[in-house]
Amino acid sequence: MASIAAPRIAEFRFREDSILPGFGLTFGFSLVYLALIVLIPLAALTLHALGASFADIWRILTQPRVLASFRLSFGASLLAASINAVFGLLLAWSLTRYEFPGRRLLDALVDLPFAMPTAVSGIALATVFSGNGWIGRWLEPLGFKVAYTWVGVTVALTLIGLPFVVRTLQPALLAVPPEVEDAAESLGASRFYTFRRVILPAVLPAWATGFALAFGRAVGEYGSVIFIAGNLPMKTEITPLLIVISLEQYDYRAASVIGFGMLVISFFLLLLINLLQAWQRRRSGRRR
Amino acid sequence: MSIQFERITKRYHNASVVNDLTLEIATGEFFVLLGPSGSGKSTLLRAVAGLTSIDEGRIHLHGRDVTHLPPRERGVGFVFQHYALFQNMTVADNIEFALRVRRMRAAERRRRRKELLKLVALEGYDDRLPSQLSGGQQQRVAVARALAHEPAVLLLDEPFGALDAKIRVELRRALREVQQRLGTTTILVTHDQEEAFALGDRIGVMHMGRLLETGRPEQLYRQPATRFVASFLGAANFVLGELTPDGLRIGAATLPHEGAEGASREGREVVAVIRPEELELAERKELLESEWIGDAVVREVSFSGATERVVVQLARDTGVRSAATDERQANERPVMEITRHAGERLGLRLAPGQNVSLGVRRAHVLPTPISSFVVAARSADSRTALLEAPLMQQLTRSMRARVTVLEGDFAANTEPPRVHHAGVVVVASGPGAIADVARLAAAGARRILCIPAAAGLPERVLVHCLSDAARSSTLGLLASVMRHLHVEATLVCLQARGASRAERAAAFRRMLDTRAALQAAHGLDVRTDVHIGELSGFTRELDTRGECALVVVGSDASPSELQNLLAEHFSVLFTADSRCPVLVAVEDRQRPAHTSHEQEPRTSVWSST
Repeated sequence: MASIAAPRIAEFRFREDSILPGFGLTFGFSLVYLALIVLIPLAALTLHALGASFADIWRILTQPRVLASFRLSFGASLLAASINAVFGLLLAWSLTRYEFPGRRLLDALVDLPFAMPTAVSGIALATVFSGNGWIGRWLEPLGFKVAYTWVGVTVALTLIGLPFVVRTLQPALLAVPPEVEDAAESLGASRFYTFRRVILPAVLPAWATGFALAFGRAVGEYGSVIFIAGNLPMKTEITPLLIVISLEQYDYRAASVIGFGMLVISFFLLLLINLLQAWQRRRSGRRR
Repeated sequence: MSIQFERITKRYHNASVVNDLTLEIATGEFFVLLGPSGSGKSTLLRAVAGLTSIDEGRIHLHGRDVTHLPPRERGVGFVFQHYALFQNMTVADNIEFALRVRRMRAAERRRRRKELLKLVALEGYDDRLPSQLSGGQQQRVAVARALAHEPAVLLLDEPFGALDAKIRVELRRALREVQQRLGTTTILVTHDQEEAFALGDRIGVMHMGRLLETGRPEQLYRQPATRFVASFLGAANFVLGELTPDGLRIGAATLPHEGAEGASREGREVVAVIRPEELELAERKELLESEWIGDAVVREVSFSGATERVVVQLARDTGVRSAATDERQANERPVMEITRHAGERLGLRLAPGQNVSLGVRRAHVLPTPISSFVVAARSADSRTALLEAPLMQQLTRSMRARVTVLEGDFAANTEPPRVHHAGVVVVASGPGAIADVARLAAAGARRILCIPAAAGLPERVLVHCLSDAARSSTLGLLASVMRHLHVEATLVCLQARGASRAERAAAFRRMLDTRAALQAAHGLDVRTDVHIGELSGFTRELDTRGECALVVVGSDASPSELQNLLAEHFSVLFTADSRCPVLVAVEDRQRPAHTSHEQEPRTSVWSST
């Protein structure tokens, strides 16, 4: 197959100076890899879901319990990603711009949500935020219930999404030398003006990517949420849990349809974020 | 005065990066701060812009004290080495940044931008992004951006450092033109001597946080006051000469010299700076147009376009001694560097191994009192210890001064040690050292450094004059030492307990006069400390604190009186476990003493204290 592909590839060779072996080989491998890992499972899911009639799909997806879970899953994920976008920026900023004792330790801590089994972080969160936990004990008397409410779901999703924002922002912030801030300040700009006009435009693409990643991860999160959510139908039941419940009732069709619905919504939301990003890039490009 | 620095000190982790620096820059002047990396020049520049805070001192811009103002209120333009352009903005947006911040109307902004782009010869580049420009173009944009808000002061931090040689020269010319057209007071920081010469109305050379010298380029090149400036501004041959009533003697040559009449008959050792172009080569000494120094052998000839660089080694027994500790100078036949222009090259073609006669047209005498170090030790161990003492290492390395060693036990010999025209005689401190100092002073030594075995690198320098007559020589010695140590210096004055008001006033006046004299003669500043009571009390306190301070003492006493004075006031510093090195400046008494009014209390501004 390679012998057929080689002469055709030669016509549209993009880059000569790559350390990876021949374009044909790498491109071929990339396709196979993507197909095996991403496309085939997704296609199987889609096919299985589309095996049902349109009316069935519509009926499953419009059940109040399913709709409520979509609202919670996507709402809480957006909220969590937004919170992470704000505080992740602050965290990334202090990690890249300042030298303080314990900086490396803090830097390493950011990755912990990646490495921890999600069940562990879920149980830990549930313990801490429940009515007699370390933090819940103080919040409860104020009329602020976290565990077993949508707030708890958001807290869990915030925790697991943080590294995505911080890790994508860090290299972008490092690429803006501190001298640029000095330059802006010596030209008369206030700190806020410098941030808004100089720093933010430079890191905006990375920031949006971090937001999208954090959001994507939050939508699919299961392990850490189910412990703190309480899983009350219509109230604190997330979509992934609903899928598991359907599976446990051997209702494979419903599970795959709900999964497919999630896939479609996620796809459109991520596409929207990407389009916004492209639009922003074009807008700044047009000012040339 | 456009920019005034008043006693600026900046410390990082207790080490001073800028040390007591005072400087004034005139309106419209192009001032170049020149120095090696780590000399504190960039720190000083950033301090003007407010990008770095200072620990002590004040900065005035056009008479306005800006010491505590944030950068955005100082009205300066800053150009960085790596341009620091806003990458996501076009050239136009970059240049208009300062104007937008100031809410200038769009039409006005546009007019100003066009003007600036024309000034830096980048018309039509408005819509480019910085990433689409070459390094030289980016730096032009950075200059235009820094000038947009018509700053009172333009500051440039190694602006051409990241560019290649040809662009650098081109941009240098452009910058000079822009600066002259606008008349903006400008400070440029660089480590490139050529750049400093090409741009500066005035150059200030910084080293180890101190401003060593300031002056017009030619003045600094021809008449440097310090070894560092002499060698930093172009190539220089350092030789030890002797200043006698006949003139300056270098080898067989005697050159006329201004200060020669006042010199003593024994001669005084001085450091002579000979620029490579001030030396001449000929086949025989009769063919030389200048004064013959001695004969030499050609070692290296290298062609470099308009000039030719020749390295020669002097023949045996020319009597010329190198003043540097350069490795190749280590033996007794110094090596000299000569540059010859095309005419000279055609007159006499040279090849390595050839014998030539060396002549000198002009030599400049450095005013430094430390021409060389002579180590006088009682034993081989003590000699090694002195040579390896941190203070000696620092001074000789930083000055690149010649160190010679007196052979044998100098104290055991019955005849006086031959030190009469050495720069600084170095002895081991300790119980017998006071007698050694007196003996060396009697033998003609005028500067004696006693280093105790336990001394590290001094954390500060303390200076005290035992008599006013010794003041100028003490300050000269202090200045030479201060330029090579990264520490603060403090002038110690005494106030007798229960002194009368007039005596108090006189003491303060003397202190201020001394400080002013140091500032006037050497451009250096010191801290002051008034000690109430006896001097011996002060040295005892110093000893108890256990810090390592270099104590500089000046006196015009005779050797025997000196021995008594040292024993009376400084004996604690000469004990076996002392940590303080002592540097004694001995002034000959027959020299005309300073005018007497300094010693008499006049109507004093201090009488109210």
